[in-house]
Amino acid sequence: MPPFSFKFFLSVFGQVLPYLPVTLLIIILSIIFSSLLGVIIARGQLGSSKVWRTVSQGYVFVLRSTPPIVLLFLVFYGLPKLLLLSLNININDWQKSIFVIIALSLLFASNLAEVFKSAYLSVNTGQREAALMVGLSEWQAFYRITLPQAIVVALPNFANTVAALIKDAALAYVIGLLDMMGAGDNLISRNFGHHSLETYLALAIIYWILFVIIEQSAKYLEKYLGKGHTIASKSAEVVA
Amino acid sequence: MNILFLIQTFWAAVRAIPVTVLITSASVLIGLPLGFLLAWIKIRKIRILYPLAVVYTSLMRATPMVLLILLFYSTLPSFLNVIMNQKLHWHIKVFDTNPVIYAIIVFSLIAIANLSEVFRSAILTIDPGQKEAALMVGLSPIQAYYRIIIPQALVSAIPNIGNLTLNILKGTSLAFMMTVQEVTAVAKTAASYTYNYTEAYIDIFIIYFILGTLLQIIFRYLERYLSRHKLRVKAV
Amino acid sequence: MLKVRNFKKKYHQHEVLKGIDIEVNQGDVVALLGPSGSGKTTFLRGLAFLTPGDSGVITFDDQKINIESATPSDIKKLRRKMGFVFQNFNLFANKTAIQNVEEGLIIGHKVSKPEAKRRATEALKKVGLQQYANHYPSQLSGGQAQRVGIARAAALNPEIILLDEPTSALDPELVADVLQVIKHLADEGKTMIVVTHEMAFARDVADKVVFMDKGLVVEQNEPTSFFDDPKSPRLKEFLSRISAVNVADNSFEYEKAVQK
Ligand SMILES: Nc1ncnc2c1ncn2[C@@H]1O[C@H](COP(=O)(O)OP(=O)(O)OP(=O)(O)O)[C@@H](O)[C@H]1O
Ligand SMILES: [Mg+2]
Repeated sequence: MPPFSFKFFLSVFGQVLPYLPVTLLIIILSIIFSSLLGVIIARGQLGSSKVWRTVSQGYVFVLRSTPPIVLLFLVFYGLPKLLLLSLNININDWQKSIFVIIALSLLFASNLAEVFKSAYLSVNTGQREAALMVGLSEWQAFYRITLPQAIVVALPNFANTVAALIKDAALAYVIGLLDMMGAGDNLISRNFGHHSLETYLALAIIYWILFVIIEQSAKYLEKYLGKGHTIASKSAEVVA
Repeated sequence: MNILFLIQTFWAAVRAIPVTVLITSASVLIGLPLGFLLAWIKIRKIRILYPLAVVYTSLMRATPMVLLILLFYSTLPSFLNVIMNQKLHWHIKVFDTNPVIYAIIVFSLIAIANLSEVFRSAILTIDPGQKEAALMVGLSPIQAYYRIIIPQALVSAIPNIGNLTLNILKGTSLAFMMTVQEVTAVAKTAASYTYNYTEAYIDIFIIYFILGTLLQIIFRYLERYLSRHKLRVKAV
Repeated sequence: MLKVRNFKKKYHQHEVLKGIDIEVNQGDVVALLGPSGSGKTTFLRGLAFLTPGDSGVITFDDQKINIESATPSDIKKLRRKMGFVFQNFNLFANKTAIQNVEEGLIIGHKVSKPEAKRRATEALKKVGLQQYANHYPSQLSGGQAQRVGIARAAALNPEIILLDEPTSALDPELVADVLQVIKHLADEGKTMIVVTHEMAFARDVADKVVFMDKGLVVEQNEPTSFFDDPKSPRLKEFLSRISAVNVADNSFEYEKAVQK
């Protein structure tokens, strides 16, 4: 084992941080798409259509057991094949980042659907009824009364899910995407496998800082939004 | 789509299930007592150990699993070699050790951190009145813990222990990076000769779906069995 | 038997107990009354060191404890002489009714298992619940749960039982059975301190009624003079305020209990 080189350790930050924007872009786009899909699935689970309910519940159930790396490879290898065979669309030249975003969105839509569903259910139905009785429309009751309360309830679990997404996004480099992890991997190859400890340690610290930022902003938001929102009962913790 | 390859590889991968199950269950079984110990340190805020426990937990929960695996696999064998052979002169062939051992070590370290948080929140949700009542009928604080509080905390922790076990199970799909011959590795290797990657990943996907579903059924059953005191049975 | 001198307790800056003096004789039932927030719970929990007081002296038989310098072994010795009945029962959720009673006998007091079983069965029988022995707390009604709570305390045969509003978490129709059980204990000569809002019960069962307000004992007397001839203005006001609602309601429940 070569001795730990503190100098090299510091130099890693300079070499991988330029790729932080790639990592962040993937994370942010995946959060947006998985939230949209998650809302649709949550609606399906709560809705009155039996078909949609079965489909959305089945989706959540299947995705719960799917390892991220398996879904990533399935999307990367399988999706082009599927589209080529069924619709004759060639997506083989798409950028790798698109496959990563698709895989993460599909995966976390299922987690977020659960978060949204339990947050919605935790808001007392009396709240909606009271709003209807004072003359609000169904839609007004939802976005003026139910939604603001549900957001506060969902926040801690949403933050947990985002933290899990950030961690799984680190897998993107296995299909050859050049993000922070990819840059670190290249760095190790260029040094013939030496200094892997320094490289991985530096990467771990960067991810740790991202995690702490998410954790602390969620706490702050929760405190800030939480004033006057006590009627919603507390939802069960989702372990990310 | 190569159906024949799909089926052949499926059965090849099925034979690797014991490795996947071994890594998952060993890690969780090691993680349970040690995670409990860590939770205890954090609840009692035991001197010196407390800040270490907090930092350890935070680091293990913040770092991507893949990074933890790479980090430990690239350093653990050399590290153990230095300790065992150069310092203690045990002459153990560290580099020939079955990689399953390293996988179990890495996943145990992850399980310990996550389970400590599970236990900590489970213990804190038990009504303090339970401890007070135990003290008033003559139990010592330690007896109150292991006879009254811990059994109740364990039950309320079961769903979260199930989630953690499922996450470890899914995480073992990365153990191929440590050259462990588990489900993913076996199917991947088969695919690499013929480039039938899609089929191979469909096989892995199916196997994880089956394992994950079985795991959830087991935990559902366990929860029901252990929380029988919470079920409302009709009074005689 | 029990003597408390100058018991004080502060929460942050707020002085909740300003020096309580109380004396309890062997076989006495002391009813502790007072408006909400007057510190009754704080005092009772302080006696048992569940939330220790700040200062004062507790004398129990030959044991004298200075609250500020109480050691864990002092507390253990004191608690052995006490039973506690909680407002919200605090039955051990992971144990059946009979296991709840046995727990203290076997683990706390080192009684042999067969002997513990015998005594626990007897204690449950006394509160009329032997057929519920194998039920878990979640399978009991509030009134049944509280009777198990009382059996759990009484089975250890403590010198005194402290009861903190044992019936206030119960539905009105369940109150009677619990009061009945407490009255039985009183008839057997058990020493007790009961915090309660059940005036009819206090009048009938107590040997002494103590009125607390704003962290002080304002007045104490035997029940008849206490209720019929209150001296201090604060007690007069308290009695007139509750007599309208409480006494009417509760005496009805209590009378039902006594008639049984
Ligand atoms: N843990 C605590 N922290 C701060 N203040 C407390 C705490 N517990 C009680 N208090 C305060 O102490 C005072 C006395 O409370 P206590 O519960 O002893 O009253 P009580 O006489 O039992 O009232 P009630 O009849 O409602 O049960 C109250 O003003 C209460 O707000
Ligand atoms: Mg009280």
